[in-house]
Amino acid sequence: MSQISDNDRQALRDGFARFLETNANEEKLRQGIASERGYDEGIWGQMAAMGLLGIAVPEDLGGIGGGAVDVALVAEEIGKKLLPVPYVSTCVVAAELIARFAPVSVQRELLPKISGGTLVVSVGGAGDCIPYADDENSLSATHGNDGWAVSGDVSYVPHGGHADYHLLGTMENGSQALYLISASENVSVSPMTSNDPAQRLSRLHLTDAKAVKLEGLAPSGLGQASMRSIAAAAAEQAGAARAIFDITMEYLRTRYQFGRPIGSFQAMKHMAAELLVEVESATSAALTAARMIDAGSVDAAKFVALAAFTCKDAFRAVSAQAIQMHGGIAYTEEHIAHLYWRRARASIPLFGHSDHYREQYLKAREAAL
Amino acid sequence: MTICDRNSSPEEIENAVDTWLDAHWDSDRRCAKGDSSYDEATWLKTVFEAGFCVPTWPTEWFGLGLRQKQARIIEKAFAKCKAPGHSRDRFHLGAITVFKVGSDELKRAMLPTLLTGPICCLLYSEPNAGSDLAGVRTKAIPDGDEFVITGQKIWTSNAQEAEYGMLLSRTDWDVPKHRGITFFLFPMKQDGVEVKPINQITGESEFNEVFITEARVPASHIIGNLNEGWTSFQTAIAYERLIMGQGITERQGKSKADSEPQLIRLARKYDKYDDPAVRQKIAQALAYRELNNLNMERAKEEILKNGSSSLMSLGKLAMSRIQHGEAAIATDLMGNEALLDGEESLDAANVNFDAAKAYMNSIGGGTDQIQKNIIAERVLNLPKGPDLDRNTAFRDVKSS
Ligand SMILES: Cc1cc2nc3c(=O)[nH]c(=O)nc-3n(C[C@H](O)[C@H](O)[C@H](O)COP(=O)(O)OP(=O)(O)OC[C@H]3O[C@@H](n4cnc5c(N)ncnc54)[C@H](O)[C@@H]3O)c2cc1C
Repeated sequence: MSQISDNDRQALRDGFARFLETNANEEKLRQGIASERGYDEGIWGQMAAMGLLGIAVPEDLGGIGGGAVDVALVAEEIGKKLLPVPYVSTCVVAAELIARFAPVSVQRELLPKISGGTLVVSVGGAGDCIPYADDENSLSATHGNDGWAVSGDVSYVPHGGHADYHLLGTMENGSQALYLISASENVSVSPMTSNDPAQRLSRLHLTDAKAVKLEGLAPSGLGQASMRSIAAAAAEQAGAARAIFDITMEYLRTRYQFGRPIGSFQAMKHMAAELLVEVESATSAALTAARMIDAGSVDAAKFVALAAFTCKDAFRAVSAQAIQMHGGIAYTEEHIAHLYWRRARASIPLFGHSDHYREQYLKAREAAL
Repeated sequence: MTICDRNSSPEEIENAVDTWLDAHWDSDRRCAKGDSSYDEATWLKTVFEAGFCVPTWPTEWFGLGLRQKQARIIEKAFAKCKAPGHSRDRFHLGAITVFKVGSDELKRAMLPTLLTGPICCLLYSEPNAGSDLAGVRTKAIPDGDEFVITGQKIWTSNAQEAEYGMLLSRTDWDVPKHRGITFFLFPMKQDGVEVKPINQITGESEFNEVFITEARVPASHIIGNLNEGWTSFQTAIAYERLIMGQGITERQGKSKADSEPQLIRLARKYDKYDDPAVRQKIAQALAYRELNNLNMERAKEEILKNGSSSLMSLGKLAMSRIQHGEAAIATDLMGNEALLDGEESLDAANVNFDAAKAYMNSIGGGTDQIQKNIIAERVLNLPKGPDLDRNTAFRDVKSS
């Protein structure tokens, strides 16, 4: 349950949205993309100052102990501006897992830094909660005199190049294991050229990298962390879908052909009306999933699955049609539409494909009968 | 004395309505206690007098002044014992429209009659005015304190049973089409009104042609003001679309989360439920329905907060995809069985009926194309296309 009151939540969201309005324009986005990390570190620092990075972190560890709805509101605004910050991986996935399963000393050390914006954790490997599961990874862990060490290769790790820690998942005898590894010399990182230029995917090569193993991965806790991560990603996608939709509607009102705004053509209107159904459905699905998590509802898993495929499918459809509705201008690198489109394409396998979640959703519906 | 009010707790309302139903309704025989068969007129009057007919309306207008949530409790209790007559503040389009835009005089005179009678029919469409409803040609000519009506309506659902219809008519031919329309509460049971049923693709004959020849309606039955019928009509049509968007016109309670969806039942029965491709389609179909429910829930929240919600206008359009989509999947699941009909196969009969009935949602109450125009122009603020007749006196407008 969230420790944040309704009024504070609204203020938090409004404050963040206002901040982004002036500080996260397209120019900044492109500057960030051209920079080494892929995002504007100044914005990340400001988000920390506003308390946004510690929403999922308990109050006694430097966070504000918010709920899934609070996270969703922030993620939605991040999505609208396409901020390529490591919010979901560091502040949701890693924060949730560390807060639940890491030794207390590690929690005390890392969680305040996550809230403070001074620590980025990249997440990769196999299993639940992994943004881009890499089932082909060759990671293996051994236990020696001075604790755990991990060796092997893992690909598709977002923010791997500049992370301070890596949280890597492996499957051991069919169950999930998670290792927390400092970005030391024993981890070498090579960038993977990514279709979404804002993404910094990496391949990590580990040689006896010293690791802390997260213990006692209870399925219920893992499930909670995983639902929260998926719901956050869904909210980000819902926000992004709405933003590119709004950009497109504005163009339809202002671009003239045949002596009239192109939005007065019925072919455009009908595409727009159909897409609005998708945009609103995505918003409703993301919000409901987060609310159900916060309420501890037995239906939470069902609504998270629904949000997972609804939001990524909506984002994909809306951003694809946005290019078509803009015409040639959106076929240019200069126009922002392709950045949304690329992010939507990068969302397709994020936390698993839509088909997977449709199946989960159907199973949950059956179980409720 | 009223049975319950705005300050009653959910339990108090539930108790009150259960006790009342217990005393007045015989669930086994499905008629009033002590009667041997159902007498609609008397029963509706009993419900009306208790206030259960329109619970969300104020007490001075025949209601109990309850909130929507409280009214749902009454609806559930009535539905549970299959007692008719409740929730007319949700479903009786005629009464709702008169209540919202009618004069106090009309409300006082007609609401008790409407609420204790059959639902009103909707005398809107004409052979030459379908999507372009503002092009109606049914004439209303003043004569003393009455109007004389002549014209033809078509696709009028329930015209045979209805005692009153809401009628779109033309009262001024010398102004552009939207400005010369008057909306009447029109008495159906009179000389000069001839109703001819039309056979539908569903096999039913719900809608009709209505031929009106010099029939009469009192001037006091204008809903709203003379020549401002288009404005009053907006309330009625908005409500109709709202109802359709919630799937309320569907055959059975398909929106319920806890009853087995028809698609799952059919997939199991026809042994296709393990096919992953089929499962994907079914999951998506169920999701569309659930998402529409979530959107409508959000709309209600927004209405409570801001007084209105643009989300409401999406429901009917979304419902078309849901209904046509589900019928298509069901047809595929059944294989050759879907070729059959009637007694030969009850499953096929149901699915074929649903496949046809889906058009009621996508054509009736304004087609999907018209809905998309409305969403684009009113919700998304996209510019209107050129209308060739917007500023022409209706007398001079071209028609097919
Ligand atoms: C089951 C059912 C019940 C009904 N019940 C009633 C009732 O009780 N009372 C009543 O008055 N009416 C009723 N109707 C009539 C219904 O409202 C009309 O059929 C509907 O509004 C369409 O009008 P039309 O049939 O004349 O088609 P048209 O208006 O001729 O449309 C034909 C086609 O052209 C398209 N079209 C027309 N104009 C445009 C435009 N501007 N932009 C894009 N496409 C356009 C339409 O979408 C449609 O595909 C009912 C209809 C059905 C199917």
